[in-house]
Amino acid sequence: MMEVEEGNFDEAYDVYACMQCGKCTGSCAVSLRSDLNIRELMRIAILNKNEDLEKHEEIWDCTSCGICTVRCPRDLKPAEVIIGMRSSLVEGGTIPVTVRDALESVGTNNNPWGRPKSKRAEWLEDLDVKVKNISEGEEAEYLLYIGCTASYDPRIQSVSRAAINVLTKLGVDFGILGEEEPCCGSEPRMMGETGLFEMLVEDNLTLFDEFGISKIITLSPHAYNTFVNDYPECAKRLKEDDVEIPDIELEVKHYTQFLEELIDDGRLDGEMMNEFSGTVIYHDPCYLGKRNNIFEPPRKILNIIPGARCIEFDRREDRSLCCEGGGGRMWAEGTGTGERNAIIRVNDANQDGANVIAVACPFCLSTLEDAHVTAGYEETMRVMDIFEILDEVLK
Amino acid sequence: MDVIVCVKKVPDTAEADVSVDAGGREINKERLTFAINEWDNYAVEEAIRLKEEDEGTVTVVTVGGKDKEDILRRSLAMGADKAIRVDMEDPEDSFVLANVLCTLIKDQKFDLVFFGAQSGDFNSGVTGAMVARMLGISHAAMVNGVEVLDGSIKASRELEGGLNEIYEIKLPALFTIQTGINEPRYVSISGIRKARKKPLDVMTPEDVGVTEVKPMLSLEKMYLPPPGKIAEIIGGSPEEAAAKLASLLKEKGAF
Repeated sequence: MMEVEEGNFDEAYDVYACMQCGKCTGSCAVSLRSDLNIRELMRIAILNKNEDLEKHEEIWDCTSCGICTVRCPRDLKPAEVIIGMRSSLVEGGTIPVTVRDALESVGTNNNPWGRPKSKRAEWLEDLDVKVKNISEGEEAEYLLYIGCTASYDPRIQSVSRAAINVLTKLGVDFGILGEEEPCCGSEPRMMGETGLFEMLVEDNLTLFDEFGISKIITLSPHAYNTFVNDYPECAKRLKEDDVEIPDIELEVKHYTQFLEELIDDGRLDGEMMNEFSGTVIYHDPCYLGKRNNIFEPPRKILNIIPGARCIEFDRREDRSLCCEGGGGRMWAEGTGTGERNAIIRVNDANQDGANVIAVACPFCLSTLEDAHVTAGYEETMRVMDIFEILDEVLK
Repeated sequence: MDVIVCVKKVPDTAEADVSVDAGGREINKERLTFAINEWDNYAVEEAIRLKEEDEGTVTVVTVGGKDKEDILRRSLAMGADKAIRVDMEDPEDSFVLANVLCTLIKDQKFDLVFFGAQSGDFNSGVTGAMVARMLGISHAAMVNGVEVLDGSIKASRELEGGLNEIYEIKLPALFTIQTGINEPRYVSISGIRKARKKPLDVMTPEDVGVTEVKPMLSLEKMYLPPPGKIAEIIGGSPEEAAAKLASLLKEKGAF
């Protein structure tokens, strides 16, 4: 990831290797319902004809699911080219107002939701268990990184509370950062705000260092992905530019990976759970699956739940249909018309006979929850985060 | 067209819990976030658009301590050419502030002065009009559209009830700018970094030549409005709250 000045797309993304095969566009999760045509954008990048990017409103339709990058036969990164194009629009200042407001909110409130920093820990209020707050000097082995969406969105806050209940019951030594928890920067990066992302990396690594945090469990695959894949690269680049960054090695796990380890260590099993009644279908989030090849841990957890009949989507694992919640799409409606992917997904789940869609990502929960209501499955189907299912069944 | 834009840094109180401090004349600011006044942001954008359409300069001005400089840097990153901060404590009232700004502006070269129509903290909406009067120039308030003509300018003003009135005004003039006049551009972090090289002058009240004036208003007491007697906060789960609300509406004869 580098800052793209006008006229250096070719250098920044090595796009000359592109042979215009179109596999990216063919794979794209939104190209069926949007004008987004990655092959065309790659062509623009090759020719460095990026002066008219404002006209390509569909650049904001990309969900950054990453499938184009996964499938590119030349090992290029079309998804990063789109971020670069967004970056050049961000630097020019002409971006969708909803994206503008989200980015400005990260700058002032440390979250893209336009909510005050002082209300970040409000979700804790209905909680019966006591949680350690690392920012208040309490020590814990793990930081449970909640993230902006699970802190502020009323539906997703339930996942944060479920996480606290489950980890407490399992005797995990963890703490949170409460109001002091920062935005991880994943969404700002995907929206092309490179400078803001760098600032967050610098600030957040300094904050983690200050509180002695080295082990992190994330609720969101997006936070996981950025901590694991983007932070080290960005920190290296900042260091080369003589920015002072603490030398800390972060051990970051998505919570499904962490729970899988507990299963392997015999600290979590079906005996600890009440019977769950339902046919559960697991929806792979792009940021765990396609981007990080994490397919097994969530399935392993669901499979030990007594009574849960686990079934699979036809489009699963690295072929999972993106819910359209990532890549800044929470703040950009997109130009697409026709059925949303999330609606297609809940219809598929219904057809497959599922009455619970299990997710492991706040954005997937948000989009699929909304879709299952819109599609009329409110009475017959539940969309649940795996933490919520565990909270329900753990004795 | 040379435009001076007066900007102010204000707390974001839209959703924050606002409380009054022990002294009873000030709100507690520790947990609030501060940013450029929303109306001022539109004013800066409008000035920059005028410059981009034609030519000229944009100068942004604020009054206050060093902590106010970030809104100037941000405006420079948006495209302003120069910034001035008058280094002093926050003025006691709009009249004192207007006096400082007038003294500063009268020695600058300008065709237009922009203010936000009001500020998100006290919402008085008077500073711009006061400065126009002190400078002895024409002014228009709540401007939601401008068009540059030869030696004059057309300004559209928003009136009550969705009406607009359009004036042709001789230059120099002062406008207070209404939100919605444009769509302010995004200012990126790297844009702000790059704008560090642009000039930001810090002047003391003495440099400016400010003579002391007495405030026209003094703040006696600040307090949160007491809760009304009829209002009732319905608690409980969404289901319980909805049932309670429905029965209340029935009881009061709403349906």
